[in-house]
Parts: sequence; C-alpha cells; structure tokens
Amino acid sequence: MGTNNSTLLPHDQAHLISAETGFSPKQLQRLYTRFQGLDKRKPPSGYLTREDLLEIREVALNPLGQRLVDVMIQDHGNANRIDFRQFAAILARFRRGKPTNELNAKEKKLLFLFSMYDRNHDSEIDRNELLDILKLMVGGNIHDEQLGTIADHTIEELDADGDLTITFEEFCKTLENIDVDEKMSMKFLN
Amino acid sequence: MATTVQIFTIIGILCTPMISIAALVLTLAALNLSLGVRSLYVKLLGLVFDYATKIKQDKELSNDPDVSTDESSSVPSHTTKSTKTSAPPIVEKSDDDPIEITSQTPLISDSSRKIDDEDKSQELITTDQDQKVTRSSSQSDIQFKLGDIMHFTRQGLEAIVDDEVTKRFTSAEEMAVWNLLTRTQQQHEYFSARITLLWFLGFCVRYFLLFPFRLCLFILAILWMLGSAVFLKYFPKRDAKLRYGFYINIVLHRILSRVFSAIITYHNTEYRAKCGSICVANHTSPIDVIILSTDNSFSMIGQKHGGFFGMVQRTLSNTANHIWFERSETKDRHMVAEKMREHIKVENNLPILIFPEGTCINNTSVMMFKKGCFEITEAPIYPVAIKYDNRFGDAFWNSTKHDLFQYLILMMTSWAIVVDVYYLPPMTIEKDETSIDFARRVKAAIAKQGGFVDLEWDGGLKRALPKADFKAEEQRKFYEMLKTE
Repeated sequence: MGTNNSTLLPHDQAHLISAETGFSPKQLQRLYTRFQGLDKRKPPSGYLTREDLLEIREVALNPLGQRLVDVMIQDHGNANRIDFRQFAAILARFRRGKPTNELNAKEKKLLFLFSMYDRNHDSEIDRNELLDILKLMVGGNIHDEQLGTIADHTIEELDADGDLTITFEEFCKTLENIDVDEKMSMKFLN
Repeated sequence: MATTVQIFTIIGILCTPMISIAALVLTLAALNLSLGVRSLYVKLLGLVFDYATKIKQDKELSNDPDVSTDESSSVPSHTTKSTKTSAPPIVEKSDDDPIEITSQTPLISDSSRKIDDEDKSQELITTDQDQKVTRSSSQSDIQFKLGDIMHFTRQGLEAIVDDEVTKRFTSAEEMAVWNLLTRTQQQHEYFSARITLLWFLGFCVRYFLLFPFRLCLFILAILWMLGSAVFLKYFPKRDAKLRYGFYINIVLHRILSRVFSAIITYHNTEYRAKCGSICVANHTSPIDVIILSTDNSFSMIGQKHGGFFGMVQRTLSNTANHIWFERSETKDRHMVAEKMREHIKVENNLPILIFPEGTCINNTSVMMFKKGCFEITEAPIYPVAIKYDNRFGDAFWNSTKHDLFQYLILMMTSWAIVVDVYYLPPMTIEKDETSIDFARRVKAAIAKQGGFVDLEWDGGLKRALPKADFKAEEQRKFYEMLKTE
C-alpha cells in the first residue's frame, strides 16, 4: 500500500509536460508521486493499466468508475496502458485555471464527457449508449422499460436533426446553460 | 590465564556503562521519575532539523527561483511551535494556508461536497428554463439530463488524483522539516554535502549509539518480566498477586517506553479509566499498548498465541486478569461479550483496553469503530485519543509493508516517539441509542480531541475490496436525486 520509494520526475520531462499541460513543476511532481503510488508492480513499470485505476476504492465504488477508467485508458492511452505524460494530459483538462494551450478549455471537457457516452466512437450518442449510462447510474432502482422511456424522452428533446442520435453539437447545446468549466474543474494544490 | 583476566576486565569495562544505565533506568521507572534527558534530547534534535531544513530550502530556492518566498518563510514559524499542536483539518484547504505542508496534504482541494449543493440548484434552474418538458403520463416524472454524468465523473477523477482511503494506510507524506530519516523522505534528492553528512552522522548515532542501549533496556525489560513472574509465584493469594501485579506492570511499561525513547504527555488525567470500565482508543501501532500502560494498568483482550508471545501472555496473566481466547472462540461475538461482562462484574478488575478500529491507521484519521464493545452497556466507556508527533519517528505500523520484527527494529532506530495522550470524560450509551450510533459518538469525540479526520470507512478496507452494497447505495442516492428534480 503506497510506496515510500518514489523517484523524481527527470527535469527535461518535467519541463516538457509542464509546458504541455500547464501544471506547475511542483504540482507535476506531486502527481508523479501519485502515479507511482498507483503503479504497484515491482519494478515499477512506468504505466498504469485499467486494473490499477480500478484498485482505487473510491473509483471502484463509483457507478461510473469503470466507464471513466475505460475512457481514460482506451481513448488516451495505448493497449490498456497509460503513461505519465498521457495521465497528466487528461487530468490537465480539468485543472482549474486560465486555459493554457487550450488543453483545459471548455471544449476539451465537453469532448471528454461526450466520450463517456460514445463508446463506439461514431461521434454520436445513440439510444443504446444512453441506456448503458443510465443503467450504470441508477442500477436496479429503475426498471429497464422505464429506462427505455427515459432514454427515448431525452433523445426526443435534444435531437434537433431528427436522426434519433445526439451529435456533439447537440450535446454541447444542451450543456450550454450549465457551467461545465466550473463543475468539472479541480483545483490542484501545490 | 592472564588473557582471560584481561578479557574479563575488558568486558567489564564495556558493560559497566550499560549496566549502570540499566540500573538507573530501573530506579527511575520504579519511582516514576524522569531526569528530563529525553526532553532535552528532543529539543536538541528539533534545532538540528530546523538547520537541515534551512539548508534544503536555500538549495531549493537557488534551483527553482519561481518558488514563492512566503512558503519558505511560513515554514520556520511552524516548526518552532510546540510539539503539541494537533493536526490541522485536511478537508477544504486553500493553497495559501501555511500550515498544510506537513502530513497528508491533499493533492486537490476537496470541494466536491460544496459542489453537490451547487449541482442541485443549477439543475433546478435549468429544469425550469427547459420549456418543452414533456412528461409521460403513465410513467414517473424522472427527467435525465446528459449533464448528469458530471457529478460522478468529477468524483471519479478526484479519486484518481487523491483518494481518502489510500491516504490513511500509507505513512504520512513529505514533511516540511526533514527529520534526517531516509525512510520518511519521499525522494532521495542530493541536496548538499552538509545534509548528507548530517544524515550520515545521524545514522551512526541511531544505529551504533542509541540502538545498543535500547536493546539493553529491552533485555532488561524481559528480565524484569521473567523475574516478576518468579516473584509472584510466592504469593498464592490472588489479591496480593494483583496488588503487586499492578505496580509491576506499570514499571515494566515504563522501562519499555524508554526502549523507544518515548516522550509521553498526559492530558486530563482525572479521566483515567477506572476499574470495571472499558477503555477505548484509536490504533496506530502495537506501541499504543505500552504508551497507555505507563500511566494505568489494563486488562488485555485477545487471542492466545503460541511461542514467545504466548509466554509473554502467560507471564502477564500472573500480574492481572487478562482475557485470552482460543483462536476458534474469537469468531463467536456473544462469547466474547459474555467474557467481557464477567470480567467487568468482578470488583477490582482492571479496565479492559480495546482498539475498536481493528487495525492500525496512520494517525491522521479515525476509521469506523466496530460496534462489539459498545454493546456492553453495563460499563462506562473511557475514550482516549493518542496523537503521535511524526517529527521524531513515524510510529505507524504498515503491516503490509513490514512485519512486527522489522517494525520494532525501525522503532528502535528512530530518534524518539513523541506522543500526546488525551483522556476524555467517560461516556455511556443513552436511552434509545443504538450501539452503532454510540460507537459513532465516541469516535467523533476522539477525532475532535486528537484533531483527526472522522471517517466512516471500515479499517478492513486495507485488505479487502468494498462490498457491492456500497455501489448500489451510490446508485440509489443518484436515483433519489433524479426523482426530486
């Protein structure tokens, strides 16, 4: 549980990732320590797998935990592995602060949220994908038929062009009134 | 012939300091006096550490000129505080708070609880603004918005960056003041020759000076224990045995506390646990027992072991009535409770010492208390908060990392164990209060006194994965939230 033997991030890598992501070197080092803490292999492998992230109790308990990990690893890593640079890049999207390098711009957050739904990567959320998410979130508390109705309603309301799927534009439009930046930002401490 | 005489004299010369110190310690322990050597030692160490930190910071400033200067200026003011400061709360910190740099600083500020209420009010506003809210006549009026995933997504991301559970089972993170123990330094960065030299000196002092003395004292303690076992055999009468046993116990633990160079400060001794009660404390290490026993004698409760530890148990049984179980009986909660009740009924039986968390936590929080001992309503509960000061040695036993023997060696080669023991006023279960609520109440009192974070997580999470019920609970909560929109 947790390793005391974490190493420092090499300076050149630190500067590179810091420039890319907008994290300060100190924040980056702390993230790196966390990354190493999650990498429980001996010797440390330098990447994280889906299983590593799901080992975190609070993630395993989270109804969308698996889905979140899937998005991170599949869309932003390679072959069930994510290295530190990719790890920092995803988290940078949710860093609270002025958008630097556009990595934490609102659109990137929206893209991430969209891909939580869109697992077949066809840039559209169809009924099945919506149902999947609904099922994950409410579990057994609502019957499948009711879920189906809810899904249909949602699509009906939001589908502007009538193709019974929700495109990214429609998705963004519906979230227009919600301050996504605020809700999805995390403040990284030094 | 001459050589053996020489050898003996040499051994004699070498052993004299050891023996004289042992005798001194024994006298001090018996009389409950202290020469103040340890406090002086600790003060000196404090100064050395401050010096080392200053060097480190000067180095850091020269390496990284962007580091804000108010961070470095705030640290020395913290280190000159007395060792008795309680840990600052961990939740909701802003990054200009100077105290936060010591143990367990979070990686992100935990505003998820605040956001929850904002979430709800936001959702309500947007629902009102949504004009075409067509509700199905037959089904419920549940509306799902695509943005509803944000709540869980954000929580998940926060957990990936920093989660509450892992934080509690690992040793406290980097400290602003490095205490010259490489085991606590997260990164071994080469700062300067002076620091490495200091560290090396420290290493020599700890391993070659302090450790042999401590080992000696440990042997003394064992001898004392064996001696007292023999001594007590001459008193067939139970009461006489117990009376002597009480003092023998305390002296034994005072010797043991010197083995670890423990500096213990007791607060509120008027609430010391009395006979016929149950004493409850937070658990950080096996040394907790020794620390508490220097001031009061307790009845232990636990499994019967074999080997060395079993012998220890049998010897201790001579000094007082302890409750030892066969391995098979521990599962039977009723039998355990029965035995405890029997023990409490007997007058003059020592208070029972229990650690309801069930496992060692790293002294920044208290985890869920098992309700077993809180169901015994006949006895008042005396809560105790034990707070360690990490600067001189981290007392937390991470049983997944070290076994007991390694841990003891680590403890004996640390600088010192500085600990505050807070006795709290007794609590009893109220009418209509369930044992679970009572357990929670006691836990909250201990957390408040010791400055710990009060968590509902089960200590058992150290080894096992959470039950599926937890997830179902989260889902149910979300469902409820949907319904109320």
